[in-house]
Parts: sequence; C-alpha cells; structure tokens
Amino acid sequence: MFSKIRGYLFFVPLVFQILLCPQASALELDIEQDSRLPLAYVNLVVTGGAVSDPVGKSGITSFLGEMLMRGSRKHSKDQIDLLLDQWGAQLGVETRAEYLIVRGAVLSKKLPDFLTLIEELVIEPSFPEIEIKKLRSEAVSGLLAEQSNDHALSAKKFARFLFQGHPYGNPISGSIREVESIQRSDLLKHHARLFHPKRILFLGSGDVSRSLLESWAHSLSKKAPGKGELDGLNPPASLPSRRVQIVDKPDRTQTQIEVGQLGLLMSDQDYSALYLGNAAFGGGSFTSRLMQEIRVKRGWSYGASSAFRFGLQPRSWQVHLFPAEKDTASALAHTLRMIEELRQNGITVEEFRLAKQSSINSAAFINDTPKKRVENRIIEKTLGLENDFFSTFSDRLEKVTHSEVNQALKEFLKPENLTISILGTADRIRSGVAQGAGVTPESLKIVPYQED
Amino acid sequence: MKTQYSLFVITVGILATSCSGLSIRQNRSDTPQVLKVAQGIEAKRYPLKNGLRLVVIEDSSSPTFAYQTWYDVGSRDEQPGKTGLAHLFEHMMFKGTRDFPEGEFDRKLEEAGAEGENAYTTHDHTTYVQQLPKERLELIIRLEADRMKNLVVNDASFATEREVVQNERRFRNENNPDGLIYQEIYGLAFQKHSYRWPVIGYEEDLSKMTAADAREFYQKHYSPNRAVIVVTGDVDADEVYRLVARHYGDLTPSQSASILVSPEPEQLSSRRKTLRLDLQVEKLMIAYPIPSQNSEDMPALDILQMVLSGGRSSRLQKALVETGIASGAYAYAASSKDPSIFLFGVTLQKGQKALSAERVILRELERLSQEGVPSQELDRAMNLVEFDYFGGLESNSERARFVGHYESQTGRLENGPLYFERLKAVTAEQIRQMALKYLKESRRSVVVALKKAQK
Repeated sequence: MFSKIRGYLFFVPLVFQILLCPQASALELDIEQDSRLPLAYVNLVVTGGAVSDPVGKSGITSFLGEMLMRGSRKHSKDQIDLLLDQWGAQLGVETRAEYLIVRGAVLSKKLPDFLTLIEELVIEPSFPEIEIKKLRSEAVSGLLAEQSNDHALSAKKFARFLFQGHPYGNPISGSIREVESIQRSDLLKHHARLFHPKRILFLGSGDVSRSLLESWAHSLSKKAPGKGELDGLNPPASLPSRRVQIVDKPDRTQTQIEVGQLGLLMSDQDYSALYLGNAAFGGGSFTSRLMQEIRVKRGWSYGASSAFRFGLQPRSWQVHLFPAEKDTASALAHTLRMIEELRQNGITVEEFRLAKQSSINSAAFINDTPKKRVENRIIEKTLGLENDFFSTFSDRLEKVTHSEVNQALKEFLKPENLTISILGTADRIRSGVAQGAGVTPESLKIVPYQED
Repeated sequence: MKTQYSLFVITVGILATSCSGLSIRQNRSDTPQVLKVAQGIEAKRYPLKNGLRLVVIEDSSSPTFAYQTWYDVGSRDEQPGKTGLAHLFEHMMFKGTRDFPEGEFDRKLEEAGAEGENAYTTHDHTTYVQQLPKERLELIIRLEADRMKNLVVNDASFATEREVVQNERRFRNENNPDGLIYQEIYGLAFQKHSYRWPVIGYEEDLSKMTAADAREFYQKHYSPNRAVIVVTGDVDADEVYRLVARHYGDLTPSQSASILVSPEPEQLSSRRKTLRLDLQVEKLMIAYPIPSQNSEDMPALDILQMVLSGGRSSRLQKALVETGIASGAYAYAASSKDPSIFLFGVTLQKGQKALSAERVILRELERLSQEGVPSQELDRAMNLVEFDYFGGLESNSERARFVGHYESQTGRLENGPLYFERLKAVTAEQIRQMALKYLKESRRSVVVALKKAQK
C-alpha cells in the first residue's frame, strides 16, 4: 500500500541515443539493442487514436485494437492466445487519444515467429462476428464496472464537461450506447483508414536483431491498407465562464474534486516555464504548494496534484484532490484561492529554485529504462515534436527565469473560467460546493453518475 | 480486462537451507559474498556487525541507482485495537528527525533529483524506495540512516497524518467496492491470525491511535538488525559498503521484538458472506488456505495459479470470459510469512450472476483434480514463468525489489533464483495434488458482492 502519491507521470525527456535507421521509403524504425536479458520488445505505433473515432462511434479505435487480437485470416482467437502463451509472449493493444500502440514482448528466441504473427494480426484481421459480440458484452460490462471506481469516473466526467463535445472529451473506451452500436462493417472501414503506411512507426528494443526488424517493418508497411483519410482535429473551444457540476453518486463519504482549464501544446514557447510553474504548484512532489497546503498542513486529502495533459491540440491543465465529504467545501474554496493566488503572484524565488534544480537533476531518469526511451520517442513522433525534444529538455529548463515562469502563469491561468467537477452525494454537498466555488446553488449542474 | 500477477516479487519464495546449484563465492568476513541472480547479474552481500544487511548490484547502463530499505515489519505484527499502525507509522517516517526538521527529507531528495520517492506497507514488511542520480549516493545513505534512529514523532504532525490515512482509507476501502471485498475475504478466511485485518487498519482503531503508539512502534521495530538495504545501479559496491558502514555502523541493534501472532486454526467448514454495494456488475472472491512461503508446496501452487489465470489462454479466461460470464477473472497464490490464501477474483458481465461464476470455478477445480494438466499447458505456464522472471529484473528498481524481497522476507536472496529453478521443476502431477490437497470445499471462503437496491 503506497502511502505517498507522486502524482501524474509528467512526460520525461530523453537523452539516450536511439539509432534512427534511415529508410528510402521513409519507414520510421527505431531500434535499441540490449542483449543482457533474453527479452525482445516490439512496438508498432499508429498515429490516430481515440480522437479519430467517427461521430457516434466513440470507443471504436479501442475496440478495434482489441479485435486485432481476436482473429486473423489464418488464426482464430483461441489459436492466437495459445501461440502467445506457448511462446511466453505478451501482446496487447493500447489506445490513447492521439495514437494506438501494439505492444509486444517475447523471449527473444521466439521473436521471428512473434513478428510474423503480429504482421498477420495487424494486416489481416478477420473481425469474426462472434468475437465482436463477445467483446461488445465485455466492453459494456467493463464500462459498467468502471462506475464503481470513483477516481476513474470523476476524471471521465470532468473531461466531458471541460471539452464540451470535442473529441478530447470522449472516453477512449467509448460510451455504453455507442459501443453497443459498433458493427463489423464499422471496424473494416476504420481499420482501412487507420492503418496507413505513413502513420505507422516501429520501435524495437532489448535482445532484437536489427535486420530481422527492418525486414519485418518493410513487409508490414507495404501491406498496410491505408484507404481513406482520418478527420482532422480542431482545437477545443475556449471557455467563457466558470462552470460547476456535481456528479451525483449516493452514499459517498469522500468526494473527488477536479478543477481545470484548457492546456497548451508541448511545442508552445511557454511550455518550459509552465512546466516549472506547475512543478512548484502541484506537479506531484511533496514539497509542492498543493501538497503542503492540502495534505501536510490540513490533512484534507491523501493526494493533491496538478498536471497537464498534452495532445496535437491544447488539452488540459487540471488539479485533483479527494477530501472527506465534510472537508469538501473548505478544500474546494482553498484550492480555488490558491489558483487565483498563483496567477496573481506566481511562485516564490525559493519554489522556482527548487523546481528548477529538482527537474534538472532528475534529468538522468528521463532515459534510464528502455520503456521510457520508447515512450519518449512515441510522444515525439506522434505529437509532431522535434526529434531532440526530450534530449534538449533540461537545456531549455536551464534557460528559464523566475520572471518568465510568473509571466507565463499570469497569461495562462484563467481562474474566472475554470471548469469544476465534483463527484459526491449531491444533496449533502450542494450548498457547500456552491459556496466554495463562489456560484449560486441553482447554477450547479447535477449529473447522475450513471449517465452515459 | 484481466489481472495477472507476477510470481516473483509480489509472491515469495521458499526458505532454502541449501545453496546447491547456485554460484556463490564465499569470501572472508570483511568482504562480500558474491551471488549470481541471473545471467550477467551479480549481487554482493555485506553483513554489518549490528545486524544490518546490505546487498548491492552494480550496473552502469544508466547514471542512476535505486535505493530500497526493507524493514521486517508489517500489519502482521500489529495487535487487535491497533490495526493500521504499521502503515500509519510508515507515513510518519517522512516527518522530521532531530537533525532534519519536517519537510527537509523530501526537500533534500527532490532537490537532488530523486525519482519515485515512496514507501509501501504489506502484511509482512515495510519498504522505502528511492531512485537517485549516481552522484547522490551519500545523501540518501545519510538521510535513511538518520531516520532509522532519530525520528521525532510529535503529537501535532501525528494527528494530521492520521487524518491523511483516514482519508486514504476512504479512498481505498470505504468508497471502493474492490477494496471492501478484499477486506471482507481476508476477514472471512482468517479468524484468528493478524492477516484478517486490512493493512490500512480499521477506522475505529485509527481514530484512537496516538503519537505514543507510533513512538513505541518505532522503538520496537525500526533498527538495523530488522532491515535490509538494497542498492542497484551505477555504484561501486565497496564504496556503498564503506558509506553504509560509516552512517549506519554506529546504530545499535534492538532486542528481538517479541511479537504475538495468533496461529490460524484449521478451517473445517466453508464460509460465505454476501455484500450489497454500489455496483453495476456483480463481483466474487473465493479463498482457500494455503501454507506459508517456506512450504515445499508453494512452487506447485504458483504454477497452479499460472495454469488457472496466466496468459490469454488460461483456464479461467476460457471458462469465464470467453463464455460471456465474466469480464475479468484471476487466481492468485498469496504466499506470505505465515500460511495465507489462494484467491480467485471475478468481475461479472452485465446481467450475469456471481453464483454462476462460482459454479464454473468449482467445476474447473474438479476437472483439474481429476484430469490434471496436459503437458502442453504445463509448457505454456513454464514459458510465462520464465518471461515473468526475466521481466522482473530489467530496471534498477525491479532488481532491487526482487533481491530485497528474497533477502528480507526469506533470509537469503539466493532463494530468488532457487525458487525459479524449483518452479521449472514442478510436474503436472504435483499441480493436480495441490488442487486436491488445498482447494477443497470444506476450506472455502466466499464473498459475493451484489448491487445495492436503489433508494
């Protein structure tokens, strides 16, 4: 049982040299060899994640990802499962907002067979009707089960409230109603659009053979269907005023508070300054202002943190804490005052020094494991960042001044337009929340927690 | 949609008295034992005179290291009325000492660029973890040595931290059906032993706990002879030893703590409990008593777990998920210092009943007892075990966790690789015998969680 929460994983920069193999066909293949352990890792990344879900089909990219594992032209689901287990392999598909990743790991002696199978699953999925039916039922049940996880539910409701119909507000796993509507024809169409050679990136690490991976990546790229284009992603609409909702769930003794606003791009000129400003305010460390004020001084919440989420368009900056119901109004009011104070006066010289020193000294952890190196590369490629974005990260932080941080915070933060979402038992917290948020009880939006 | 546990690190190996088959270079008393953990991974063990044990694995692939301190105390060592004290005390370890006032520990580590500074408490042990850039070795040694003996537990900071833990409890248990079900299955399967209460403790006990309780706990359980330090990464082992000896060497060992742990009587009949919770789909947990980590039966029980729920083609996956009954199912042999439980956990699909899942599990166990495990299925489980083993040795912190676990909880890190060898030697017949011996109706405890009626 972890007693301390270190907050959200903030994207960490990369220093490690990854060997980019130049390919005449513009194939994107990165390989990092390390044969100390007999394990091989393969990642196939497709740009175009949940935000590419067509209107009315939220969750289809995630659904399609899992369906890749459930039947191909040559193998049934049972056969695929058995092969993977016999090889001691792990293979899964992870869907995020901007991209989909097929992640594989296998004992290296089985790598050639493993690669052949991945190619077949990705290029020639059969989407059997019986498996679609089964997965639909599993997925819907999973969404229902998620309703008993207050933190996950709260984050989902906050995103929907903040993004007001923009794809960033749609849950990656979709809504119950829309997942229930997914048909085989939808999957075939989405697969053909999604798996386009120009959107595929390959990353291999561990005990891998370079020539084997190159040959595999070439073969797979040539066969990728690539029919049609994905819709472009517009920026989310800005928010004109403060809005507050309560996600009403019975019998809560604790609330989940989410407070936030639209974020910025990682390529934004103020990114480094705001990175440090956020680190000092609530970026997951115990010395952060939020942690000190909410947990250490008052014991209100086990965790209190702030974090950015990034994408191809500005996503979000949000604060999360989970006080006892009795402390909800006070904790909310105090958090809002802290955000206002942060905008007005910024961070102190000492907070700036500590945040900067800590961030620069911890640069060694940017690339200390193959998993992080792969992750950094994926972020650079899928979010359109420079190839050296992470390797030059600490150099950029080094140049940031205290006044630049505070100026950036002043321009970025919009306390008057914050979106506030609180999961709790509405009839017991309604007046306190209204008071804490500085709005009238009548203006609060009450959302049933089971609403799709 | 399914959970898979690693056999290594989370679960525990057996206490071996023999080191046969392992490569060990025994040295003079002032130099370390060199022990092979896996191909290309060697650990050096340095015992100190005050009982502290230090294990170092050198690896310069990244200019960082992991530092872990394993204390041999967990919720198992608590007494009724004081449940949750081990975990609450773990929180207090981040408060001030005589030399470093409250907040300084965190501030110094953060300034140094520490990553993943944290701690966790289990039934059997409490572990403090950090990762740091390689230049900061002496800093962490100095800070950890300091808080091993000089912690100051004052009433005000204790009261605030108790509030934090009560809030953590709301998060993990009161408002979390999975936490509640887990608490209930342990409470049902154990009637006397301290594993029956949750690591985080009961609310009524936490609310009465005082700073004096924490001070007493500290004196009793935190001392060099009850700790193992593991350092893995870009360090020189002899240099680590020299610094550890300098900063910890003067700490005096404590008297061995007299801990009264009630043994769990044999379960003679099945037990059952039904909960009504805020759920949209039903949930089920089943537990059977199994022996402690020292038992010769543990490797076969671990392979049984792998056969039942490891990988995508496991028996539970096929019998429960593929058939549309459950959205997720797992089996888990929770090996511990004292006899523990073999757990089944199931999340049902929409409209499906927990009772159906229970029937399916019982049928699968019956089939396993009668028909055993075909060789192909055993091979599959062995491959998964092998992947698990190497996968748990990849990063500095994973290696530290593996080594720390075996050294602290079984007395010898050699038991880690040895346990891997014993897993690979398990036969199909041994697995069948485990099902027959332990997964019996009279030893079963069942918790069913149903949807609470809407008001």
